[in-house]
Amino acid sequence: MLNTLSLLHGLRFIDSFFPSGGYAYSSGLEAAVQGGAVRTGDQLSHYVEQMFRHGVARREAVAVGIAHEALLRNDVHVALAIDHELHAMKLGQESRVASQQMGRQVVKIAAEPPSAHAVLRDFYAAMKTDRTPGHFPVVLGLTLADAGWDRGETIAAFCYQTAVGFVSAALKLLSMGQREGQHLLERWTPLFDECAKEATEATTMTSWSPVQDIYAMRHARLESRLFRS
Amino acid sequence: MSPMLSNQSAMADIGRVGCLDLRYRRDGPRTILTASRCSTPWHFFPPAYLDDSGCAFTSLVNPSGGFVAGDHLSIHADLEEGAHVVMTTPSANRVYRSLGEASRQSVTLSVAPGAVIEWFPEVIIPFAGSRFTQTMAVTLGKGATALIWDSLASGRVARGERWAFTSLRNEIHLITASGARLLERYDVSPDRDSTGLGMLSAYDYVASFFVVSDAMDPARWPAVRDALAGILDSFGSDLLGGVTEPPAPGLAVKLVSRSPEALAAGQELLWEATRRAVLGLARPALRHY
Repeated sequence: MLNTLSLLHGLRFIDSFFPSGGYAYSSGLEAAVQGGAVRTGDQLSHYVEQMFRHGVARREAVAVGIAHEALLRNDVHVALAIDHELHAMKLGQESRVASQQMGRQVVKIAAEPPSAHAVLRDFYAAMKTDRTPGHFPVVLGLTLADAGWDRGETIAAFCYQTAVGFVSAALKLLSMGQREGQHLLERWTPLFDECAKEATEATTMTSWSPVQDIYAMRHARLESRLFRS
Repeated sequence: MSPMLSNQSAMADIGRVGCLDLRYRRDGPRTILTASRCSTPWHFFPPAYLDDSGCAFTSLVNPSGGFVAGDHLSIHADLEEGAHVVMTTPSANRVYRSLGEASRQSVTLSVAPGAVIEWFPEVIIPFAGSRFTQTMAVTLGKGATALIWDSLASGRVARGERWAFTSLRNEIHLITASGARLLERYDVSPDRDSTGLGMLSAYDYVASFFVVSDAMDPARWPAVRDALAGILDSFGSDLLGGVTEPPAPGLAVKLVSRSPEALAAGQELLWEATRRAVLGLARPALRHY
């Protein structure tokens, strides 16, 4: 269970006030909306739930958990390995670049204090010398582990922040208000808990969200775009 | 060892363990088979030459028609420098129902500098209750090229059997001489995942197409990408697909289809466009009747 200081140390990295640049990305949602796959709040909910259950919970969330464990074990090589594997699995160019850009924004601030954990600092050094791609889930796992959050809390926070990104994008893309966005987050909260439990136990990353992956790939060819992914 | 294989390390005493080992070498304008070894259920057919490119067309023949519980079939091919091989199957890969053991296929392709491998098997059809694990590892030397197609049906669609298999695990891993990697890995269990199977309810076919080559001028990939995207968009609602630049030099295509006809037409057009752009060759007629 988090103590107050740990909570506050970690909270700012998942707060939408943090300048991770996440607001610029829709993870393919914009293409799905323009393609007609998502037009309503219910369709958005289904789209995101499916993406979490079959994609995010089994790939990115697993990377978060493994990175978290790497810091606790004081083994940067584990973090580097999962970062490289995640990079190989992120086939979509825009999604891959978005993940790396967000990772860079977080690590620059998280690894800056002299008190930052050696694994986090070593990981940042590897990023700066292009020895690792530096994906956001890995960086966040290291960062929240350093803040004192446990593995389940860290994964759940990642899921929540990812979902907030979808709602934030949906508010601009769909005829949907803030209240409905909050209802969606409330509806998804048990899902974050499930995903965190599943990802905490997992040791292998997999992903099965072909339709969402296709929309993420198609985003680059949209004629008019609000988002960068 | 792949995590998927390590999870199933205990081989049961059921099923068949069949190996197909092949080695190819460039001999003048032609690629020839220099060594081969196979065990049941694989049946060895010598390569054919279907065009004047010198490419060795190899049919991977499993006369039993598919995988039964406990089968562990492997394919290992070494392509020496400059060799060019197309590998295909004469018919769909059927995976029969299993009450316990999964059936497995392991593919390792070692592609030396300047060699070309084109992997175009027919679709995998997992029957209701089937369990299947496939792992594929492709290692590319400098200047080597790989065109890898992999497709999956939801089941025996004509009899209304859709997404009724027990489990299907698939891993495709390509690595280039520079260490750039591309990895697709999924683990699908419709029983466990009764909540929607990743929005696939409207589709019966899923395919991936990977083109990886550090031999091609990187500036040429965007034009190929646009050509493939145009092909994918030409199908209307029968097929939904996307193309992107993966983390290895080349392109990755993902598509879902409502019909086998759209899947087959999509494969033909994508292969044709890619083969012309990357290899300067027309798509071969594989003589599947």
